[in-house]
Amino acid sequence: MEEIEFKIAPESKIKKKPSYIKPWLGLKYLFKKPVTIKIPHEKTQIAKKYRGFHTLDWKKCVGCNFCGQICPARAIEMTWLEVDGKMEKRPHPKIDYGRCTFCQFCVDVCPTGALRFIESFILTSEWEEDTIQLFDWVPIHPEKFRKLQESYNDWRFPVEKIEFNKETKEVVYHLRDGEVFKFKILGYGIRPPKKQKGGTDSKPD
Amino acid sequence: MVAQSELIKEARENGMDLLPLDKDTYELFFGPQHMATENFSIILKMDGHRVVEAIANPGFLHRGFEKLAEFRPWHTNVALLLRVCVPESDVPETIYSMAVDEIIGWEVPERAQWIRTTVLEMARVSSYLFWIMGLSFKLGVYTAGQWAAAYRERLMALFEQLTGARVYHIYTIPGGVRRDIPSDRWLHQLKDTVEYIKSKLPDFDHLVFENYITFKRMEGIGVMNKKFALSEGVTGPNLRATGVPYDVRRADPYLLYPELDFEVPVLNEGDALARALIRRFELEQDLYILEQLLDMGPPSGPYQVSDPRLKNLPRFKVPAGDAFSHVESTKGDFGAYVVSDGKNKPYRVQIRGPSIAHGIRVLEHLLVGSRIADVPVILMSLDNCPPDIDR
Repeated sequence: MEEIEFKIAPESKIKKKPSYIKPWLGLKYLFKKPVTIKIPHEKTQIAKKYRGFHTLDWKKCVGCNFCGQICPARAIEMTWLEVDGKMEKRPHPKIDYGRCTFCQFCVDVCPTGALRFIESFILTSEWEEDTIQLFDWVPIHPEKFRKLQESYNDWRFPVEKIEFNKETKEVVYHLRDGEVFKFKILGYGIRPPKKQKGGTDSKPD
Repeated sequence: MVAQSELIKEARENGMDLLPLDKDTYELFFGPQHMATENFSIILKMDGHRVVEAIANPGFLHRGFEKLAEFRPWHTNVALLLRVCVPESDVPETIYSMAVDEIIGWEVPERAQWIRTTVLEMARVSSYLFWIMGLSFKLGVYTAGQWAAAYRERLMALFEQLTGARVYHIYTIPGGVRRDIPSDRWLHQLKDTVEYIKSKLPDFDHLVFENYITFKRMEGIGVMNKKFALSEGVTGPNLRATGVPYDVRRADPYLLYPELDFEVPVLNEGDALARALIRRFELEQDLYILEQLLDMGPPSGPYQVSDPRLKNLPRFKVPAGDAFSHVESTKGDFGAYVVSDGKNKPYRVQIRGPSIAHGIRVLEHLLVGSRIADVPVILMSLDNCPPDIDR
């Protein structure tokens, strides 16, 4: 191995001498403003591009499952949905925030730009069944999410309650502004579910 | 029910009897609930307040990263491997990305290299501030610890703007970085932050590094000599405290470090105080490096390599080959060895963590003969990273 030229700091520069008086100089901080902020009376500043919850433009989503393949935590499951009696032509990602690491690689790979993220990030749950269900959802439209975020400005989850009927597979989102959004889960996986009347089970692939 | 005596007998036959205790000694479980150990535990055999024998008991954070990395696509592994070292998560990201770049043969654009170097140095500064927080809490100088946490917050806010997250940045990926610098304002803010922290360093000196209590608590405890440190493979500030001028940034330069000017602090004592002072001096050097980088300014150009294969990340394949890359972290020499067999997932990812060298055997050796009150101080002066030991 060849000689490496090191620039070594002289010992006199590194050594420090103990002092009895200097520690007391810290007392001057008693007269300064604290750096902490009083939540919830004051608000934290969140960066513009903070990696928070997802938003999904349902019309743009082509159901390619790139997001599901890249997800390191396997939090994304493709879901076939029915809105107002019409089946969506392609499956949409359902994101489980119990697993999500918020790396947003799914957003990076999305070829149409349907899956995006927003800076809202506060995940809270009382650990009851209906509050846990909140965090396994098909994201809502970015404009709607943005509107809710701007009106409340507290970075919370936009949905107050999700009703899920296990028999009919109907999902009802109760948004924070009182709006209700209904759809039906037909099945899971990349392949379309078999058409059966009465909304019976279709198992994931 | 099996009688307890039989259980003890069986444990002894299998070599599981932890510490043979006699009349004068007792066993003390130190951690993982203890604040000083951070998800790490030491089993101490005590004679009065002196440690007779110490056994490191790691494994609380074992998640099997290296095996898990074999089942995930190349880029996705960044989101996994950065969990190897929490206080400076950019280091595992960068070593993995540098190794993958080397296998593919990508020339990373200059702008990306500048951003990577800056992010690494910011991570070093924030990690040292975090360490000052830990050290001062263990010494009983709580005020300085709270200052350090407050100053680290400024760097976290900058990381938040740049990468979109505060702790787990997931920012450096093979082929460059994920996002461009948000604006010129960010650069100004970074400059202000560097100046601010630099102006606050004398306060830390007054309260911690020139405090006679620090000298009384740290001088002459946990002495490690040069020969022992080299034989155990200790790197980083712990090795430099024993008089060996080894720094990866000088010995095997990477990214922009050949162009940068900095000094490598070396002390000969090898005790806890020497290790602490070296870290304090390196913090100053890191701020100086950041100043130089900001004076240099980010070169214009792309922040990622342009490759049509990057459009299909889940099926992105890396040609067969292997590469090793390492960087200097605040804990020591951090390296990654990546092997590819031409598929869309790595064949093997091996991490060479610095903490395992000084966190188990060296710690056990240094603790023998020390007082119980010195155990947290020695632990903190070694600055080990439990997730890196367990991996």
